[in-house]
Amino acid sequence: MMNKRGFILMFISGFRYIIAETFKGLYRNRWMCITSTGVVVVTLLMLGVFMLVNLNVGHITETVKEQVEIVVYIDDSAGQNELAELENMLSGHPGVAEARYISNEEHMNRLQRQLGGMLEGYDSGMENPLLASYEVKTVVPESVVDLAREFETYPGVSEVFYGQGYVENLFSVTRVIQLVGLALMVGLSITAVFLISHTIKLTVMMRKKEISIMKYVGATNWFIRWPFLLEGLLMGFAGAVLPLLALYYIYQYSVEWVIVNNLLFLNLLPVEEVIFELAKYLVPLGTALGILGSTFSMGRFLRV
Amino acid sequence: MVEAKNMCMRYSKCGDNALEDISFFIDRGEFVFFVGSSGAGKSTLLKLIIREIKPTEGELKVFGRDVGRLPRHRLPYLRRNIGMVFQDFRLIEDRTAFDNVAFAMMVTGATRREIRKRVPHVLGLVGLQDKAETRVCDLSGGELQRVGLARAIANRPAMIIADEPTGNLDPGTTFDIMNLLRSINLRGTTVLVATHNRDIVDRFKKRVLYLEGGKLVGDEQKGIYTHVH
Repeated sequence: MMNKRGFILMFISGFRYIIAETFKGLYRNRWMCITSTGVVVVTLLMLGVFMLVNLNVGHITETVKEQVEIVVYIDDSAGQNELAELENMLSGHPGVAEARYISNEEHMNRLQRQLGGMLEGYDSGMENPLLASYEVKTVVPESVVDLAREFETYPGVSEVFYGQGYVENLFSVTRVIQLVGLALMVGLSITAVFLISHTIKLTVMMRKKEISIMKYVGATNWFIRWPFLLEGLLMGFAGAVLPLLALYYIYQYSVEWVIVNNLLFLNLLPVEEVIFELAKYLVPLGTALGILGSTFSMGRFLRV
Repeated sequence: MVEAKNMCMRYSKCGDNALEDISFFIDRGEFVFFVGSSGAGKSTLLKLIIREIKPTEGELKVFGRDVGRLPRHRLPYLRRNIGMVFQDFRLIEDRTAFDNVAFAMMVTGATRREIRKRVPHVLGLVGLQDKAETRVCDLSGGELQRVGLARAIANRPAMIIADEPTGNLDPGTTFDIMNLLRSINLRGTTVLVATHNRDIVDRFKKRVLYLEGGKLVGDEQKGIYTHVH
């Protein structure tokens, strides 16, 4: 390794050259650079589209999960002590986020509101056949099934309802979507690395003569590497920013389309939030891919 | 300046020696021809001097340093003291003569002022002052080799190594290039030329190291090619 002072002196004296050479290199090999950047753009665009879908699927399922709750119906015959014990057990449970008591009157009111005039003939003086309950929200939505089974054993509990069948399906579908999403993202990232390093390798190969001349006239490896690294960085950066711009407009259009077509149940994330989230991953990823692609592609040509 | 002691070079473990038990000493300011037929080991010897490859046995000292033990990161500093001239010129075709020479100076960290002053000077030395802004793809073979020479001397190296520098040139241009190398040598630069062109070796009457089958078979001051061929 060159000592630190030598490296700094070399860097300062060659800084102008390196910057100029980076842009000249990009201009001289503009078609190859456009191709390399194009490959980064296409790959990151695919990755970005998938991330958009995944983010929104995640958001929608999270919203649905938040609505999942356990309804613990209280036995009519339960005494005051049992009720107090049940309330303590539910609200003191570490897996419970919130346990709200709903009296049988409140249940009846809700039913009347829901059914409107269909509940004719019932007045408040009549015996209320509905059971009081606790509506329990869990800390982790996935623990609903286990907790519901546990609550069934609690004193004073008549019945526990949590949307049996529906919740299990929701969780298994979410798991599958997450796993498929992860696999696709890993696959696309690996493909991106291969495509980009291959394309940059072609760029470097086209300039191997130039590199070997530099070696013969006494250029250090770092002096040769810098312009290529900067080129890789710029190509990777452009390759990440362009799909981000495209995704911004595509996503904005999709959100407007959902609103216009009254598909509000889709509950898409806001544009700014999504693009910021994508930028957080795509810009460093594209830039890193560009730099890594250049570094790996150059190794062989520097051994002259 | 260059000293080889019982040096051997083998490209592969089970292969024959490309160079075998080579010993010689070249002093500062000498002009030396390495001669021999194709495959004799001339280019291998030059590659060893610029440490493109390492000797498998023995010792090779260049500027007093054992190049076989020279760490890779010190290579650029060795090569800045050696100007290389190639048979195929190895110029960057889409750039001007000026750019090609400037390129060699820039990579060694020369300032723009130094480059602006030195490049026209060296192009003048090789007779190309009027072609500075001509792209090298528009130059003749002789002119290309002159640019190669200008690039080789741009960093004021202590030694010039020319591997078949006239291999692609007609006889007239060959002597022009050789005369340029002689004038560079007269300014004190050591010049090593690998060639199998008997005319130039015989005419210049400089020190000749004869290689045959990887062995050094002759070393003559003011030698001529025909002694062993």
